[in-house]
Amino acid sequence: MVSFIVKRFIQSLITLLVVATLIFFMFRLMPGDMTAALIDPSIAKEARDQVIKQYGLDQSIWSQYLIFLQDLLKFDFGQSFYYKRSTLAVLSDKFLATIILMFSSMVVAYGFGVFGGALIAWKRGSFLDLFWTTFALIFRSAPTFWVGLLAIYVFSVTLGWLPHSGIRSPGYDAKHSFDLFFSVDFLRHLLLPTIVTGLFYLATPLLLMRNTMIDVLGEDYIEMARAKGLRERRILFHHAMRNALLPVVTAGALFIGSALGGQVMIEYVFSWPGLGQEMILAAQRHDYPLAQTAFLLMAGLIMMMNVFADIIYAFLDPRITYK
Amino acid sequence: MFRKERYLLLLVLIFALVGCSSEKGEKVADDELGELAPSFTVLTATPEENYITYEAMKMISEEWKKLGVDVTVQPMDFHAKVDRLWAPDERDYDAFTIGYSGRVERLDPDMFTYTIFHSSLAGPGGSNTTGLVNEEYDKYSKDQRHEMDPEKRRDLVFKAQEILADEVPVVSLYSNTLVHAYNHERFNELPAMAGEGVFNEWMPTEAEPLTDDKWLKIGGIQDLDTLNPIAAKSVFDWRQLRQIYDKLVRLNPQIEPVPSAAANWEVVNDKTIDVFLRPNMTFHDGKPVTVEDVKFSYEFMDKWNDGYLQAFLEPIESIELLGGETIRFHLTEAYAPFITATLTQIPILPKHIWEKVEGNPLDFANLEPIGSGPFVFEYWRRGEELKVSRNPDYYNNINVDGYIYRVYGQPEAVLSALRTGEIDTHADRLISAHIQQAENIEHISTIEVADIGFEYLGLNLRRAPFDNEAFRQALALTIDYDTILDVYLEGYGTKGGPGLVIQPANEFWHNPAAHQPIFDPKKARDILREAGYNWDSEGKLRLPVN
Repeated sequence: MVSFIVKRFIQSLITLLVVATLIFFMFRLMPGDMTAALIDPSIAKEARDQVIKQYGLDQSIWSQYLIFLQDLLKFDFGQSFYYKRSTLAVLSDKFLATIILMFSSMVVAYGFGVFGGALIAWKRGSFLDLFWTTFALIFRSAPTFWVGLLAIYVFSVTLGWLPHSGIRSPGYDAKHSFDLFFSVDFLRHLLLPTIVTGLFYLATPLLLMRNTMIDVLGEDYIEMARAKGLRERRILFHHAMRNALLPVVTAGALFIGSALGGQVMIEYVFSWPGLGQEMILAAQRHDYPLAQTAFLLMAGLIMMMNVFADIIYAFLDPRITYK
Repeated sequence: MFRKERYLLLLVLIFALVGCSSEKGEKVADDELGELAPSFTVLTATPEENYITYEAMKMISEEWKKLGVDVTVQPMDFHAKVDRLWAPDERDYDAFTIGYSGRVERLDPDMFTYTIFHSSLAGPGGSNTTGLVNEEYDKYSKDQRHEMDPEKRRDLVFKAQEILADEVPVVSLYSNTLVHAYNHERFNELPAMAGEGVFNEWMPTEAEPLTDDKWLKIGGIQDLDTLNPIAAKSVFDWRQLRQIYDKLVRLNPQIEPVPSAAANWEVVNDKTIDVFLRPNMTFHDGKPVTVEDVKFSYEFMDKWNDGYLQAFLEPIESIELLGGETIRFHLTEAYAPFITATLTQIPILPKHIWEKVEGNPLDFANLEPIGSGPFVFEYWRRGEELKVSRNPDYYNNINVDGYIYRVYGQPEAVLSALRTGEIDTHADRLISAHIQQAENIEHISTIEVADIGFEYLGLNLRRAPFDNEAFRQALALTIDYDTILDVYLEGYGTKGGPGLVIQPANEFWHNPAAHQPIFDPKKARDILREAGYNWDSEGKLRLPVN
């Protein structure tokens, strides 16, 4: 088990290195350079040259790459060109807001998806099955920004039930920093974007669960359980669902990564001050260190979740052993 | 039946042949004409970045094709374009479209007459992108910098504008009208300002609340980047920081300099200006504002600010304290924008805080900014909101308890916030799709004010075919300024024109006599013909033979 984790860890490190290299060169292939975003065009050439030098952009791309790798080994992600602050500090401001929205929408999607999927597989062919499958697919196919706008129009503008944007009411007076994220005001702001994102992601766990459940329900051991005279509910939750969960766990682990990047639209529509907007701006401004750090963090998180999913497998399926 | 048709066909054929040959007969043979006018490429905006300019340039290029000019329009990413235009080593472009935003210091004519057209700045990397070199123009644009008498200076600026209208290094395409909305149930009409719109530096202090809730809520799309006034580099930083940090002079909504932290000033001579500090002012931490603080601020800013404000500080040779409340500025040479652009922009910093900052003050986060301006900093949640409250010790009357600036993801959210009453007004102008919608909201009124920034077409005079003045004048005559304004801008703007850089909204400095937005393709042909241009049998424009 331990040797397996170590092996997977080393594999992840190598993958991260490859990703880092790709990211490094990808941003430098974009047209234009950071001076265009950073400097007022009416400024003299000398001032501009000075800035280029200050940020080391006058060196060859290979020496820039070597410096980048050296810093990376020291866990030094550098300073943002634009903010002139450490990139980790800039991103951590936004990271929490994104993570909270992501996890709450994951709870919605996977909570309803796993149990709903199991249930409609059990009652497959019924009206319930048809309804939920169609429902999930509609929200899967509709663009999130459009659903988001509709939700804002109905629940915020017309009915006035929920706030339409941001994470707190204007001038919200927080008594302490804990209060900033754990208050009724914050939850009210969280509700609408969570539901919209949750609905979008619902189809994956729901349909995945439904399909594997249908396979599992045809297995001999389910027949056996029935023959033993176990109650239906026990067969469903204890025997069938547990075995059908495996692919859903994989999808869940990968979800984290895709949601981190894919949430850009939702953050945009709901003015959610998260990571997505910052990543777009960083790329537009040619703020290489900031963009690199953001993408590296994302890649790192996805790989971590993959290792995590592998470990969870063992608990769910005793047949899997780690060598 | 068949025969009849055959005759008809024959007749048509004959007429066609006769028509062709007779036209050919009147013209000079192609090989006797000058060379083909060189083809060129216009680098323009992508539709995502600026839809109006993108569409306008497509329309303009169609007119140019009719004129027999071979033109390619190439939309280009903004940053890549800026990079190309201001490249430090070469001037590799034919023509381009880009815009200048209407910042307040650009109300002074110096930037638009000197900085972007003087021949000394025409080299690679310099700010004279079109490469205009005109001795007479250089004289006017340089002299206006040194003329301290506003009326005489205006004459020089007018002359400069006339030359630009004639030389046509740029053709301005249009200028936007800034439309802003506010909640008229909660506030009296807010003061608007040319170029700045509603979120100008006077609005928060002059806004008059109509209800008991005296907190003004402003929405915007852009957050500020820093609270450090030395490191601040964008207009988004400055429009907040100038409420926290006071300045010696401010420009009033009529664009006249009026005393702020300065009680008054006196131009002793061209190179010496005395400023008298307003007595009994305090910083937000209770310490008094002294002449020492002012001197320190200007010197500190000059030492550390590496961009935005540097140009305005450059003419200062030294600062002398004459005792009492008098600060004397010695300039290296006469510099007319000193009062309107330097004194109005440099923030007054508390010396007792900034002299203690260790290391490079540009890296100082300044999370608790202390100034002497009308508003006291409360908190800033990055990407979310900024809150400032009324400074009870400020020398001018302030009607609100403070203001909250809230950041939204996109214009749609700002409109929703106006609709739900979450905000009272907004910082960025309404996009044209939202103007009608905002007007339909019951508790919302709109205010219109002209911009002083503009979108323009720049021509690289270093290259053919733009090295010929008549050619440039002809191009300007083939631009349909009315269609751009009425169709693309839906009427929310003002017309451009050849060489127009100082917009009509900037009333004092704009020369109406030099503003000629004329669309007349026939006249364009006449001008070209007079200058010796010609058209070949395929209708292509040929250069004059010399």
